[in-house]
Amino acid sequence: MTGFKLIALAWRNLWRQRRRTVLTLVSIAFGGFLAVMMTAMQDRSFADFIDTAARLGAGHVTVQHPEYQDSPTLTRTVEKSDAKRATVDADKAVHTSVDRTSGQTMLSTASDSFGAIFIAYDPAMEDENTFEFTDGLIEGTLFATASDDGIILGKTLAENLGAEIGDKVVFTMTDRHGEIITDMERLVGIVSTGAPSLDAALCLLSINTVRKSLGYDPTESTQVAIFLEDGRGSLAAAERLRTQLGPEVAVLTWDQIQPEIRGFIAMKVGGGIAMEIIIGILVAAGIFNTIFMSVMERNREFGIMMAIGYSPAQLFSLVMIESGLLAFMGLIAGVAVTAGPYYYLSTTGIDLSEVYAQSGAVEIGGVGFDTTLHIGIFPENAMIIAAAIVVATILAGIYPAWKAGRVNPVESINTL
Amino acid sequence: MTQSSGKPIVKLTGVTKTFAQGGLEVKALRGMDLTVNEGEFVAIWGPSGSGKTTALNLIGALDTPTSGQVELEGTDLSSLSRKALSQMRRDRIGFVFQAYNLIPVLTAFENAEAVIALQGIAPAERKTRVMAILKEVGLEGMEHRRPNELSGGQQQRVAIARAIASNPAVILADEPTANVDSETAEKLLSMMARLNEEKGITFVFSTHDPRVMKYARRLVGVVDGRVDTDRAKNSGEE
Repeated sequence: MTGFKLIALAWRNLWRQRRRTVLTLVSIAFGGFLAVMMTAMQDRSFADFIDTAARLGAGHVTVQHPEYQDSPTLTRTVEKSDAKRATVDADKAVHTSVDRTSGQTMLSTASDSFGAIFIAYDPAMEDENTFEFTDGLIEGTLFATASDDGIILGKTLAENLGAEIGDKVVFTMTDRHGEIITDMERLVGIVSTGAPSLDAALCLLSINTVRKSLGYDPTESTQVAIFLEDGRGSLAAAERLRTQLGPEVAVLTWDQIQPEIRGFIAMKVGGGIAMEIIIGILVAAGIFNTIFMSVMERNREFGIMMAIGYSPAQLFSLVMIESGLLAFMGLIAGVAVTAGPYYYLSTTGIDLSEVYAQSGAVEIGGVGFDTTLHIGIFPENAMIIAAAIVVATILAGIYPAWKAGRVNPVESINTL
Repeated sequence: MTQSSGKPIVKLTGVTKTFAQGGLEVKALRGMDLTVNEGEFVAIWGPSGSGKTTALNLIGALDTPTSGQVELEGTDLSSLSRKALSQMRRDRIGFVFQAYNLIPVLTAFENAEAVIALQGIAPAERKTRVMAILKEVGLEGMEHRRPNELSGGQQQRVAIARAIASNPAVILADEPTANVDSETAEKLLSMMARLNEEKGITFVFSTHDPRVMKYARRLVGVVDGRVDTDRAKNSGEE
């Protein structure tokens, strides 16, 4: 019998028990829907976390002094950062690179003193894709140039210091020679990041203000933050840049800079995979049940088919084709069921700010995240899910197909 | 032993068949010897449990003997692989069952076409051959009906069409008239007798229906798993 004839026969067989086939398709589609949604949520939060961590930290890939990671003092700097950025920007995966200087400082006002983390940046180099705080301004102004005077504080830090716009804020740091220096700026802006620990510790300065205070050269900073087109390519990009920039600097990925984020993502990914495996097993069990029942019900028919000349291989193929058709239709049903909700959640999303406002949990490892739930699946993961559905369905058909091919015609024909 | 003058199609030599049933050994055949020649219209008859269906299953390569030899057109069936047995059933044997046993999702045409489709015959030739056969068995105009849209007699005609479409060496019919009324049974038997006479198709029936024995030209009586009587009917004898 030609393959086409077997396919036609398999197709008709599937619709003999219309309700059962529809229910199986629903279970495949629902399983696919769950797997896609879970993975899309995970992928999107994974990508968002990387990007947010990069924006809050020092990029997807960071160039810094080789000892800065273990001992992040302001004496360990990257010199001639402009030349290094030129090398970095030539890499095909790099979106942009910026100079950053960050470290610890002690802030004082007339009323109080608090320790803080400062980030000094060049507003001309940064945009919303590289710097997390540009849309978090709740009072005052942001810097317009690399040499603007003034200081910007996190909301809670400003409250703790009792500082208002225009007030003097004294900052104390250790300069490149290990000397303590003190300088003063007026409060020009207050930002809210949504992450409580950041709001209580964040201090922003223009990069040239800090260079001047610390005695840095105009092209010197503690870090060069590199932003990639796709944050998932950080490892490969870091390896390439490591070779190009040589041993005088360390080239680290975002997760080397912030290992606590990596741990969180690994935990989420692990949990997601476990859930997907459970979903896969449940879907496969449902499909197996359908196909197995349909084979057992047709035991007599398979005996007849064997008697009139179908070979065991043809009966095996027939059932496997039925499984394959189920998989194909299940995939189409899955796409149909998933497309609408996926589009809505990937574009509009669900606002969870009230939920987070109650729990107060809007940061992981010091990284604040968007309180609107968005999803977005990595293309390769969508392909993996589609392949998993097809493979699970086909695997579920193997044993029933084997049973069909092993049928004893004499016993089967005598079955009522 | 009564045989026609054609070449041997089926030959059973000292065939035994023992089944295990509920822990007991049941001897269905106890040394059966039988030869069926080309063009014969043979009825194997006998009481229930006499071994006639078992004999038909062995001839049809659906089962293997416990001992003895079953030959089809000179080929010892026990020497064939599963695949070769499938091919033998497909190419050289036609089956007509008591319960019609059509594939329910296929139309009359597709059921009749099923075996020759397995043989890889081109679609155009299949269509010509099957349409001619359906006409011959009186199913012209019903080729698009599915089994559940046909009467019992019509379904059995489709089964006969399926059996003869592949030009087999022998058609094995197990109680083919058991599920149809007398009038339909007469029509079916008359049709098969005509196919035997006009086309020389060899038929072997397993039956205890007197109507089948009326049409048969050779009667093989089986008792306790052995051929008890074997006689050719004279022309005009009922």
